Amino acid sequence: MFEYESGHPVLRGLNVELEPGQVVGLMGENGAGKTTLVKQINGLLKPTTGAVYVDGVDTRETSTAQLAKKVGFVFQNADHQLFADSLHAEVAFALRNLDFSKEEIDDRVARYLELFELTRYKDQSPFLLSGGERKRLALASVLCVEPKILILDEPTQAQDALQKEKLLKFMDSFRDPEHILVLVTHDVEFAIKAVDRLLVLSQGQLIADGSPHQILSNPRILDRARLLPPQLTQFAHKLAEQFPEFPLNVATVSEAVEAVNQLIRSQR
Amino acid sequence: MTAIFEAFRFKQKDTFMHGLDPRTTFFMAVSFSIIGMLFLQIIPLLLVFLSMIPFILLARSTRQWFKSLRGLAYLAGFILIINSFFISFSFAISTVLRLVVLMTAFSLFFLTVHPDDFALALIKMHIPYEFAFAFSMAVRYVPTIATETETIRDAQMSRGLELERGNVIQKVRNYIPILIPIIVSSIRRALQVAESLESRAFGSTATRTSLYDLKLRKSDYGMMLVAAVALAFALYVAFVVRIQFPYLLPDWFFWGFPF
Repeated sequence: MFEYESGHPVLRGLNVELEPGQVVGLMGENGAGKTTLVKQINGLLKPTTGAVYVDGVDTRETSTAQLAKKVGFVFQNADHQLFADSLHAEVAFALRNLDFSKEEIDDRVARYLELFELTRYKDQSPFLLSGGERKRLALASVLCVEPKILILDEPTQAQDALQKEKLLKFMDSFRDPEHILVLVTHDVEFAIKAVDRLLVLSQGQLIADGSPHQILSNPRILDRARLLPPQLTQFAHKLAEQFPEFPLNVATVSEAVEAVNQLIRSQR
Repeated sequence: MTAIFEAFRFKQKDTFMHGLDPRTTFFMAVSFSIIGMLFLQIIPLLLVFLSMIPFILLARSTRQWFKSLRGLAYLAGFILIINSFFISFSFAISTVLRLVVLMTAFSLFFLTVHPDDFALALIKMHIPYEFAFAFSMAVRYVPTIATETETIRDAQMSRGLELERGNVIQKVRNYIPILIPIIVSSIRRALQVAESLESRAFGSTATRTSLYDLKLRKSDYGMMLVAAVALAFALYVAFVVRIQFPYLLPDWFFWGFPF
């Protein structure tokens, strides 16, 4: 669905295909080219050489506004996109731009405000909302278009544990054979729980593509992308120093419990 | 849209122009601007413009300056069309030239003077510290806001905003979704900066000392003299010769297109 072959000088020699039904994580050090790469998906940036295809359409032959029907992009900072005088108008903005009918707009605005628990503020100004609510509103205002591809740029930044939990649930609901979700993040603990496939960029090149478990327990890749392994993986490595049979690819709580149980049993 | 800010983005370089005292560069920029404002004939303005090019070359900032001129192209085109339509083509050309002269004069200043040195220069010119600081902050935040503007534009385009859609009024309205977030986030940032200034004891002492001091050197006096002579000569031509002895001025001085 999406192919990318070398492009902007920041990105070199990339060839990636994203399949519907995947939640894809994108990680890498600061300046690795993560944002540059995702901006290629909705045509904000176009490749200098090579091509990007979104749902069969070459991004060089279409505009970002046209791609907005298929690709939703939630930026890091909600304040960079909120402007309307009410939540209703904010969510309706993209729908109006894309020429939806009035009934369809009203219906979708109501549905998406409800989904993100914002209905009671619908006539208020977006600027009166709290930080977390603004973030949710930004999400609602992009999702209402019902894009096939959704890009989330650092959605967990400055969010408390409860919000992250909610985001995780929402992302799970987006995991179906129709959709692709791309998550740009530095948050390894979140990524390991949220994504099915992980791409790691370093200095504009793809250095890893595969299961988050394998990648996030590979010290060589983590080092190049300036990432720390998930805490439980670090824990596993420490334990393995004493008990060589302890598995190293532990990343989640249930895996750790399982591995520790096995260790206790074997020690008896 | 944001290319125009390139003209005001300071870059540290080791050149003759960068080495000048900010007061010298400021005096030069003001002199050039005044000279540019004195005349509205094509050839004199062209001469002023050409006389500034060596300084741009000396500052090794040709590329940045050129970029800013390109950013100005839209506005220049607008001025050219409106003025040719209502007044004359010659007037339109000289108005655009004047704009380019003003832009070049101040981009020369902002490209070669570090914002901190500029604040220091203002204090030396007996401007209260708070004002000097506010001014240098304003200059300091221009590139930040320019970058932010690009992000905001990207965010709104991702929501299907098309800036070129509709008639003239609609086109102006298309910028609202970009302008409001810029204003809101600038205000938010201003409040944050104010708090962080206060938490670092801004304004706690009446007299301030500074780590670096500005000193005028021989090259500064030289450049100021050149600028002063040029300014005096231009004032003399504009207010004495042009009014009392216009017949002394050569024909090319008044040359213009016949339409």
